[in-house]
Amino acid sequence: MSARSLSSAPRRADIWTLVTLGGFALVIAFLVYPLADVFRYSFTDKETGVLSLSNWAEFLSKKYYIRAFLNSMFVSLTITFFSVLLGVPLAFFTTRYRIRGSALLNTVAVLALLSPPFIGAYSWITMLGRNGFLRTALASVGIQLPPIYGALGIILADSLQYYPFVTLMTAGALTTIDRSLEEASENLGASSYRTFFRVTLPLVLPSVTGGALISFMMSLSNFGTPMIIGGNFLVLPTLAYNLFTSEIAERPGMASTVSLILMICAAVVIGLQQWASSRRKYASMLVNRPIRKDLGGLSSVLAHLVCYAIVALSALPLAVVVFFSFKNTNGPVFVPGFGLESYRQIFFDVPKTVTNSFLYSFAAVVLIASVGTMLGFVVARRRTLAVKFLDPLLMIPYIVPGTVLGIGYIVAFNRKPFMLVGTATIIVMTYFIRRLPYSVRSAASILKQIDPALEEAGINLGSPPGRTFRTVTLPLMKAGIVSGAIMSWVTSMNELSASILLYVGRTMTMPIKVYLSVLDGYFGTASAMSTILLVVTGIALYLVNRWTGKSGASVVVAA
Amino acid sequence: MTSIRIVDLEKRFGATKALSDVNLVIEKGEFFTLLGPSGCGKTTLLRTIAGFYRQDRGEVWLGDERVDEVPAYKRDTGMVFQNYAVFPHMTVFENVAYGLRVRKLSKADIDRRVAASLKSVHLEGYEKRTPDQLSGGQQQRVGLARAMAIEPRVLLFDEPLSNLDAKLRVEMRDEIRAVQKQLGITAVYVTHDQEEALVVSDRIAVISAGRVQQIGAPWDVYKDPANLFVASFVGKVNLLDAELGASAGAGLRHARAGGLDLVVPDPMNPSGNSVKLAFRPEDAVEDPSAENENVLAGIVADSSFLGAVASLDIDCSGKRLVIERHRPRAGEVPPPGSSTSFAVPPRCLMVFDGATGERLRPATSSTDGGWK
Repeated sequence: MSARSLSSAPRRADIWTLVTLGGFALVIAFLVYPLADVFRYSFTDKETGVLSLSNWAEFLSKKYYIRAFLNSMFVSLTITFFSVLLGVPLAFFTTRYRIRGSALLNTVAVLALLSPPFIGAYSWITMLGRNGFLRTALASVGIQLPPIYGALGIILADSLQYYPFVTLMTAGALTTIDRSLEEASENLGASSYRTFFRVTLPLVLPSVTGGALISFMMSLSNFGTPMIIGGNFLVLPTLAYNLFTSEIAERPGMASTVSLILMICAAVVIGLQQWASSRRKYASMLVNRPIRKDLGGLSSVLAHLVCYAIVALSALPLAVVVFFSFKNTNGPVFVPGFGLESYRQIFFDVPKTVTNSFLYSFAAVVLIASVGTMLGFVVARRRTLAVKFLDPLLMIPYIVPGTVLGIGYIVAFNRKPFMLVGTATIIVMTYFIRRLPYSVRSAASILKQIDPALEEAGINLGSPPGRTFRTVTLPLMKAGIVSGAIMSWVTSMNELSASILLYVGRTMTMPIKVYLSVLDGYFGTASAMSTILLVVTGIALYLVNRWTGKSGASVVVAA
Repeated sequence: MTSIRIVDLEKRFGATKALSDVNLVIEKGEFFTLLGPSGCGKTTLLRTIAGFYRQDRGEVWLGDERVDEVPAYKRDTGMVFQNYAVFPHMTVFENVAYGLRVRKLSKADIDRRVAASLKSVHLEGYEKRTPDQLSGGQQQRVGLARAMAIEPRVLLFDEPLSNLDAKLRVEMRDEIRAVQKQLGITAVYVTHDQEEALVVSDRIAVISAGRVQQIGAPWDVYKDPANLFVASFVGKVNLLDAELGASAGAGLRHARAGGLDLVVPDPMNPSGNSVKLAFRPEDAVEDPSAENENVLAGIVADSSFLGAVASLDIDCSGKRLVIERHRPRAGEVPPPGSSTSFAVPPRCLMVFDGATGERLRPATSSTDGGWK
């Protein structure tokens, strides 16, 4: 009955009223308050300190800033293009034809997707950078490659990391198209070629668009890759970071303006994504799942070749990193021979970095899972007026790149009443807040699949709302919550863009250490640390797989 | 055993009124059905009784207690849900024990009551099964056992059979009815299936557009509908637009419906001469003789054989009418294109106000009011 969605909230206050209030407190203290500072800085004149548009005027008038904006747009669009180019064929072949080892291909692609956001960048540097082994090797046979630093490097590294978004979403759509639709088309006389372009493709197009928009979004807000491989090629996140941290001319006002521009771009993209996904209403009546066909002869070889080439290319940077982590080093220089020297250095020199990463992510995940689940319940089940206001506020972190959140936190939490800069709390809160919308959304979407009648049955049998949630709802959500928590843990372990602004010596984490090691040229340490992160990510994916019986892929898409 | 009283109830969802002016008294131990098309407000009324909705106006009484401010979990009503709502993460035993554990009963009491409930729905031995090992019908039995186990003040059924196949539906409805009578518990039953309502109910409230159209025993609702909606929703009916004419004597009156001249019961206080006439397919008399009035002739447009009856779709001077022939014998189902005739006894014709659709009852005894 449609009226159920309007299920009038009880007039009495219960535990969920408290959760709603807590949600507001959280959002105001850790999102609205710091972002208000970003706004304030952006609209304040640096000389006079009065309300002014001078930062915006400067941004629009200086080529330096405009260039960074155009750079951002250029690399993001190009990365999106390549994501679709690589992602769609892989999705189509692995879902529609029998490809040997497609489960392995899937796992490797997801691992590449979830790897720390800069491993690709610095791995390509070790291959194709100034002294890269591939470059040197090719140069020795007379092949000169263009320099990798700048746009080319960013596009290379990010395309190979983000294409799985398109693959996963497209594959998801392709496996949920009712086979009868394609059969109907062929039954009506259309060739399989025509069927693909007239029936299949239009049905999955919204998902392709959705995946492409996520790729765009991720590359737009990515900080690590352009920082490591971008060289002088500035994009908006690195520009904001430089403006904020530059020791020569610290420009918080300008950095805030760049931050706002980033948020506007992100908001537009998110808006487009919402629009695209709201149109994805096709896969509702799933009767006959599509089947994988056997390919014969040459076409089979070609399909395998395409799939393996794409995945191998994206796995290459990861393999190189693992390889270099076992190579002996002498300071920043690799020396012949293999050993565990790099790992020894990590565990003896910076063990705290490793424990910090685990500790902070664990603390963040506990918060993310518990708070996210409760707020998800409120969002999905209690559509009171207050919740209708809270819901969009909870989604703000979607459009706040890590760099922007970091800037806001430094400014807002470096004074009373919240003196948090330099503490572990601020790092944990960053992880928590950045991941919160995913957790709320995922909890809400899990709840959408749980019949509200089950909760009503609990209530009807005499169990109060809190007890019903504990005994009926929570057990049914458990699998989804755990796999979501593991994904949150992975992203928290690999978080760089906000924590790089907020860490102090004793709160350093693994991604920050990797980044600093790369800057200093200590590739051995960076490789070993990255390998640890990769292994941890791999284990997490395996656990998700075990726990839900689904591949990590579906969880990534759901999140 | 508790009576239910609904007083001047109104429920809105945003701007739309889901229920208005609902007044009902459901007696102790009564099997009471809310019958109506989807979206009519019957489920809303049931959920308001359960406490899942808070009415905007009016009162809900369970026995002597006014429960408007009582939250759903304290109302002590046992609900059986349309899609079973059997907890998928619990065994059959745990499902049925759920409400008993909430009530902090002793383990011995829980065991005893779960066993008794499962016995009365014929699910002994299923305690350790999980819902995914049960058929839809079995799941609904668990839902029923679970609601019964708490010995609630009233049992509420929200279209409990609509997800079951036809054969199982008949079986389950008889079982629900038997269990309810055995326990002597007050039951409110929501359905859109008029046949189901006629079979199980002590009384029926026919609901349309958020308003109660008629409350009565199945016999009354079917044989003596209060308005055009009830007449056409409960059972099949032929409708004719007609103009009342001169008196035909003996409480009868002439009426002209298109090209057909009919004699109908003379209604009390018609607001005008424009009326609607209705008769049920089974009331047509097969063998018209000179003694019969209202003899109609026409061409068979379509005929279908349904086993116990044959249904004929007949074109009478451009008006399509459906009649039924009972226990048709070989050669008695006329093929399409053949001409046939039948009679509609005047007392079988129901007269409704042409404008409001309200029933216009004859001054003398009600039409077909007793057992023939």
